[in-house]
Amino acid sequence: MKNGTFKKITAAFAAVSVMLAATSCGGGASSSSSDGDVIKVGVLFSESGSTALVEKTMTNACKMAFDEINEAGGIKGKKIKYIHEDYASDPATATEKIKKLVEQDEVVATVGCYTSASRQATLSTLKDDNALLIYPTYTEGEEVSPNVIYVGNMPNQQATDFIPWILKNVGKKVFLIGSDYVFPKTCNKQARALIEMYGGEVVGEEYAPLGHTDFSTIVNKIKDSGAEVVYSALIGDSNTSFYKDYQQYGMTADTPICSISIDESNLQAIGKEFAEGHYASMPYWSSLDTEASKNFVSKYNSLFNDGTVVTVLTEATYDSCYLLKAALEKVEDPTDTTALINAFGGITFDAPQGEIKVDENNHCTWVYSRFGQIHDGAVDILYTTDKALRPEPWPSVLYPEYADSNFMPSWDDPLCYPQ
Amino acid sequence: MGTFISQLINGLNQSSILLIATMGLVIIFGYMNVTNMAHGSMIMLGGVSAFILMEVLHLPFGIALIGCFIITGIIGMITEKLLIKRLYSKPTETILATYALSIILTELVRIKYPLSQNVHMPLPGAFHIGRVTIPYYNIFILVFSFAVLSLTLLFFRKTTFGKMLGSVTQNRTMTECLGIKTSTIDTLTFGYGAGLAGVSGCVLAPTTGVSYDMGSTYLTDTFMTNVVGGIQSFAGTAISSGIIGEGRTITAGFLNETWAKIIIFMIVIVLIRFRPEGLFTKERR
Repeated sequence: MKNGTFKKITAAFAAVSVMLAATSCGGGASSSSSDGDVIKVGVLFSESGSTALVEKTMTNACKMAFDEINEAGGIKGKKIKYIHEDYASDPATATEKIKKLVEQDEVVATVGCYTSASRQATLSTLKDDNALLIYPTYTEGEEVSPNVIYVGNMPNQQATDFIPWILKNVGKKVFLIGSDYVFPKTCNKQARALIEMYGGEVVGEEYAPLGHTDFSTIVNKIKDSGAEVVYSALIGDSNTSFYKDYQQYGMTADTPICSISIDESNLQAIGKEFAEGHYASMPYWSSLDTEASKNFVSKYNSLFNDGTVVTVLTEATYDSCYLLKAALEKVEDPTDTTALINAFGGITFDAPQGEIKVDENNHCTWVYSRFGQIHDGAVDILYTTDKALRPEPWPSVLYPEYADSNFMPSWDDPLCYPQ
Repeated sequence: MGTFISQLINGLNQSSILLIATMGLVIIFGYMNVTNMAHGSMIMLGGVSAFILMEVLHLPFGIALIGCFIITGIIGMITEKLLIKRLYSKPTETILATYALSIILTELVRIKYPLSQNVHMPLPGAFHIGRVTIPYYNIFILVFSFAVLSLTLLFFRKTTFGKMLGSVTQNRTMTECLGIKTSTIDTLTFGYGAGLAGVSGCVLAPTTGVSYDMGSTYLTDTFMTNVVGGIQSFAGTAISSGIIGEGRTITAGFLNETWAKIIIFMIVIVLIRFRPEGLFTKERR
């Protein structure tokens, strides 16, 4: 290609990115300043971009929860008005949008963010403006911001019961795999410590770039390692290729994949025959056979016919809204953010997964630990804790120094909310 | 040594996937000189067509292959008539327009299929030689991509249409003077290139599943393969698919997937520096 063409191409790319930025600035509900009879809440999930699919179900869950709360009379007679902003799967846009919600719309709190990167992009605004984010996604931990309530589970809540069970019932030689970024690596670090603690052995550890689709090499490495079980933190559509390649290259569910990062939305794409017999762990599965869960799933499906399915994220987002409601009911003035954040400590909610509670000290949530075997495209739940498990943002297996301090470094410790 | 051999064989699979995904680009980017940023979306449309034909209409895989070629081919021809035709010799505008087109196609598919979909494996099973496992489907992809390559070469070298296309790319004005309708040739050629992209989407669908964003994975890889091979050269593209596919898989076998990507990209940068026209080019343009 000639030099001039290259310049033109670069110019074109610049133009495209400017255009994209411009389009993502527009839209969103414009709101007048505070009127007395509503409480304004932000909803920050993507409608476009790479993670829009997952976040759609989270936006739906917010709509469902806030509409229910309003139908039941709102909070102390005040209705909730939710303002949805789309951050287009882009962390930089998330920063911009949280600013808009907090400074312009003056919301009392925001339910939002899916990826860790987008959450981290909001932290400095939250800190500067003393605002509140309720974050529903399961996450890697090792961060607790005073301005965030973490409703999604911490890795310990998926792993502490799952790993001993795997070592006892499936096999002791474990191969760790994951996508190549912070969430899988942090989760696997903890998994490795647990495996060694319970007398298992890690026979290999491999990471694939995000969106990777050829797993022949990794499957061969698994085969050569003599692994009896694969512990997976692969995320997104890579799972489809991985489960298919796993079988195509001669591995079976006799050496099962135990995943901490697939949900119902992946199962359909992987296909029944390729997912059959493998295991997965999450606080909630839509196959959970309780009255509350069944009602939740059928109500969601009757309200939203947009191709999304109920997953652990839907449930956690729904819970986030109700936890916020409970906290708002406890405070005199909903705009007093510090009081509102303090009100979260110890709040409980009878969620579709069972009763959950926000921890009194570390801003994370007590949730259930459940795992099951995939059969016929759904998860047959094999194990459920009888009550919600304690969240450990700094897991005691890796950070024994925090074991007796509610798993929290002191708030002024930079470890607390690295930025 | 064992690792090396099994990775060498796995590499063949990745190479043949690269080859079939890039072939449409050789025609559209190489011959027609259209920087088609929507190439990935054309692959995605092929995948979606495969899903509709095989999982909704329950047609056999062979028919789906032909169906995908026809469907994406027609979409390609419509695109050429409505959009590309107005933008020849305007590379910047073409990039913008085709990039916009790729967003439009992606979002349209996302409205209908927000979740990624499963396409069943038409050739399940594998055979084993020692510790090396070769899925039957990989052998199919290898044979199929070479068959498509040979057919395309025959089509371009031996048929009247192919010769007309050759003359259009060499000297458009002269060809027009000879009474050949170049605009029809353009439309058909673009349709053929898009059709090939569609076929590759169909072949990929059973291994990766189908999602609205599957195209973006292949856009960089296909342009890279094409540029390394020499943009107008089918043989060069076949060889560069082999180099990149094998290089990546073998490196991944000894290091890991992330490093394999980094190393291959570095090699490509060096290669492009010293051979900006690609490894195999017939003439300087």
